[in-house]
Amino acid sequence: MVGRQIVLRFKRPNLQPSAFLPSTLKKMIELKNIEKYYANKGIKHYVLRHVTTTIKQGEFVSIMGPSGAGKSTLLNILGMLEEPTYGTYEFFGEDVTTLNERKRIELYRNHIGFVFQAYHLIDEMTVYENIEAPLLYKKVGSSERASRIANLLDRFNIVAKKDLFPNQLSGGQQQLVGIARALAAQPSVILADEPTGNLQSTQAEEIMQLFKKLNQEDGITIIQVTHSEKNAEYGNRILHIADGVVKEDVLVR
Amino acid sequence: MFKLNLKIAWRNLWKNKGYTFINILGLSIGMASCILIFIFIRYQMSFDEGFKNEDRIYRVVSSWDYNDGNQFFSQGVPLPLTPAMRNDFSPYIEKIAAIQNDAGLIKINDAAGKEKIKTIENVFYVEPDFFEIFDYNWLSGNYSSLANPSHVVLSKEMATRFFGDWKNALGKSLNFDGKMNYTVSGVIDDIAENNSVQLKIMLPYKAFKDRNMANWGSVGSNSESYFKLKPNVNIETLNGPLKAFIKKYYVEDAPGKEGHLFQPLSDIHYNGKFGNFSGRIMPKKQLYGLAVIGFFLMITASINFINLATAQAVSRSKEVGVRKVMGGLRSQLLVQFLTETLTIVFISLLIGSILTEIALPGMQNLFNSKISFSIFQHPIILVFMLLLVVFVSLLAGFYPAIIMSGFNPALAIKNKISANTGGLGLRKILVVVQFAITVTLIIGTLVILQQMKYVREQPLGFNPSAIAMVDLPNDSLTTQRFATFKTQLKQIPGVEGVSFCRTAPSSQNNNGNSFSYNGGKDVDFQVNTKNADEDYLKTFDLKLVAGRNLVKSDTTNEYMVNETLLRKLNIRNPNEAIGKMISMGGMKAPIVGVIQDFKNKSLHEAIDPILIGSLKPRFFYAAIKLNSKQLLGTMKTVKKIWEVTFPESVYNESFLDDEINNYYQGEKIMGTLFKVFAIVIIFISFIGLFGLISFVATQRTKEVAIRKVLGASTIELVKMLNGSFLLMVFIANLVAWPLAYLFVSKWLEGFAYRINISIWPFILAMAISMIITLVTVSIRSYKAAKANTVDALKYE
Ligand SMILES: Nc1ncnc2c1ncn2[C@@H]1O[C@H](COP(=O)(O)OP(=O)(O)OP(=O)(O)O)[C@@H](O)[C@H]1O
Ligand SMILES: [Mg+2]
Repeated sequence: MVGRQIVLRFKRPNLQPSAFLPSTLKKMIELKNIEKYYANKGIKHYVLRHVTTTIKQGEFVSIMGPSGAGKSTLLNILGMLEEPTYGTYEFFGEDVTTLNERKRIELYRNHIGFVFQAYHLIDEMTVYENIEAPLLYKKVGSSERASRIANLLDRFNIVAKKDLFPNQLSGGQQQLVGIARALAAQPSVILADEPTGNLQSTQAEEIMQLFKKLNQEDGITIIQVTHSEKNAEYGNRILHIADGVVKEDVLVR
Repeated sequence: MFKLNLKIAWRNLWKNKGYTFINILGLSIGMASCILIFIFIRYQMSFDEGFKNEDRIYRVVSSWDYNDGNQFFSQGVPLPLTPAMRNDFSPYIEKIAAIQNDAGLIKINDAAGKEKIKTIENVFYVEPDFFEIFDYNWLSGNYSSLANPSHVVLSKEMATRFFGDWKNALGKSLNFDGKMNYTVSGVIDDIAENNSVQLKIMLPYKAFKDRNMANWGSVGSNSESYFKLKPNVNIETLNGPLKAFIKKYYVEDAPGKEGHLFQPLSDIHYNGKFGNFSGRIMPKKQLYGLAVIGFFLMITASINFINLATAQAVSRSKEVGVRKVMGGLRSQLLVQFLTETLTIVFISLLIGSILTEIALPGMQNLFNSKISFSIFQHPIILVFMLLLVVFVSLLAGFYPAIIMSGFNPALAIKNKISANTGGLGLRKILVVVQFAITVTLIIGTLVILQQMKYVREQPLGFNPSAIAMVDLPNDSLTTQRFATFKTQLKQIPGVEGVSFCRTAPSSQNNNGNSFSYNGGKDVDFQVNTKNADEDYLKTFDLKLVAGRNLVKSDTTNEYMVNETLLRKLNIRNPNEAIGKMISMGGMKAPIVGVIQDFKNKSLHEAIDPILIGSLKPRFFYAAIKLNSKQLLGTMKTVKKIWEVTFPESVYNESFLDDEINNYYQGEKIMGTLFKVFAIVIIFISFIGLFGLISFVATQRTKEVAIRKVLGASTIELVKMLNGSFLLMVFIANLVAWPLAYLFVSKWLEGFAYRINISIWPFILAMAISMIITLVTVSIRSYKAAKANTVDALKYE
């Protein structure tokens, strides 16, 4: 009875989601049969099951689902912060399911930018220094660094705030800095876990506009977790997850 | 309220187990060291105490001022001094008494007249008045019985040893030195170990015979004199009469200007200028040094506490905020935090007490004294421990409590208290202070060890190895057997050389005389006179630089001198001195040889001018050079021959090596103490550092995680976390260097032969401290850098 209900409620993911995008786009992320569970007293508690999906360069994907569904876990696996218990993960055709530290740092420096719900700026550093940090790790030359940061500050309209510390900023401003920092290293993909979760709707809207712009104008791939249907509309594809299973994979018009 | 506080304190300590453990470990080791130092100091400060009117008891001591600016001191007085003072100082002095130290053969026969006990013992000839000055506990008999020259008084221990039970001792008789029989007329309770005069066998002063009884020109350290002031007399008022006294009695011309001082009883154990009968001196300076080390240990442990507490303060800010919003007063919070500190300090005290108990035997061994850790016997120890708890609680707990209780509740609740609160600056300063102390101690230890090694390896100018010094009984009868004895010794296969002498080349037993050179008048310095036979040079491997060895003789008819003596006489060419006459004490003899200088005392002191002449009645030792491969067997034979030759005496031997090593007992103790405390302090500092870096790492987990996803490598993160600590320890080194330099150069001044302070101990101390810091901090920060990123970023 229960099983039947589930079948009725969700459609099988039978669409080719990227079909409407130019098929020349490169495959960026390929997940095959990803599983993740936590064993507690011998009982396996599944957080993700049989997650198989492909994300191409230039997509703007929103992951949605009820609380505890495994959205953050999936995003963490995409960001290589966690390893799946089972399955394979290919990034630009390279198997990154288990990766040594040097390789992973390499990816962080050049391909992946993170945006957090709680911003996670470094409290002891100014806005400017926060944005500069990834560039220092990437060993970008100082003049190049200065011009990139100036560019970002200007673009996000936070030039006046560059010498302030995070606790002197509003939540929305902190998140702008967080995004600016993620962009500084010019990543190919931005992973954002509820980037607007702590923000008011107007501020949230601003951030979403920004994401959309980054996606369309700069071609940056964006993968975000969100609870808001409205936020999800900014993207072009929505992954619905429940109980660790991808229940629905739909394109947004 | 207190109970509740205690409960909360307990939970909090439990929650932060790691830091609690570090705190308790550091504090308990620090406290154990402090308690050990305290009980040692207490023991040392308890010497010569507990007599009635003890502040009125003084010892008369002697001094000489020489024209060359030198001063010489002695604990003894000329024998006629005591009766003269009794007469001349009667308006000021209640009682004065002479006491003479001697040693000799005690023989006790059993009822059947058979020899029961034969032993060499220390004895004191004392005047009955001595017991009016010191009120010992008399078990039987009384001191007036010592007015009779054929009586003897024993301590309980001696009476029990000699006669089975001290109660049976009264009326029994003993023989001293084969000359006199004495009847036991009294028994006193044993004198506690912490007394400078250890009376065990007391003979009547009237029985003491000496040819210098009326000679003001002779002072031996065996003859002391004690007096008790009349009540309400100030010791200063005796200065005038003393001047007159000296003028009246010292009428003969002498190289040094005689003087006397009145030394308070309470000074006797501490003043290194004068000795005492017990041979134990503990300069107050060393006690203060120890106290300072103890204090520094406590500071170091307290700094750990302050640093960890203020570092943890942030994580407890929310708690503070909530409590304040609920209506908690700042003072209540203060009390709560202090209760936590008190709990930790108290637990540390308990563990510290156990550690003290464990370390005590080692300490007793090191100092060779019976220090006890009984708070019932010495309640002052308990008082000290309680004071220590209060002191450490306040020192360590007050500042963090002030900081934490002062958080603004609004900010605290919103989690806006940043990691810098609680004085990141202060924390850094404290770490610098802590490591400056540590590095100073490391440098001190290194220099002390280096100097000790230097002393051990100093060429002495003679060879002290494998030489046994065997006592020679030298009365008119026994000296007649010397020649045969020596021949017999030389025939033993393992014996390589034998010399009869007054002392070894290096000795604590020195004998100063004035003399005149080449018919001039008496020189203005004293010469150290050693008597020895013709085998002295060969046995001790001494080198001649001019002239020849002494010829065999029983009396003094020629002299050898050392280079220092010639230098003091302004003679450049040693050959010039050969054949010149020396007159001393009415005897005249030529110099026949000049010996290369050798170290005749500890290396604290410079070389004396030395005169060596043959004189059979002054041969106190047989110096026997042994083949080191068959040492023990040979000594057995030596003993056998000795006992056959001198059946009326008791055999005693010692090795010159050991005696010379004994000069540096004090330094050895210092060296060991420094080593131990340096290790303790290093340990305390570094667990503190480990705690602090753990905290910083935890505190910065979020930052570390963020930096990781921004692309920082583990190495970069470790570097980031380490940097400030290395800098702090480096600065601590810079602070410690001048301090340590001052300290070690001051200490080295006490040696006539000393190392030059080099840069190496300083560099080494820096290397040790930096490397340990690097290792400590890296282990912890590597762990932090490798920690799971997700956990730090997932939940806010
Ligand atoms: N370390 C862990 N140990 C055990 N279970 C875990 C652990 N981490 C996550 N989980 C469980 O995994 C499930 C998915 O967690 P996840 O954070 O991915 O959910 P989510 O979809 O992001 O929820 P939300 O919308 O509330 O953020 C949850 O049920 C959570 O309790
Ligand atoms: Mg989540």
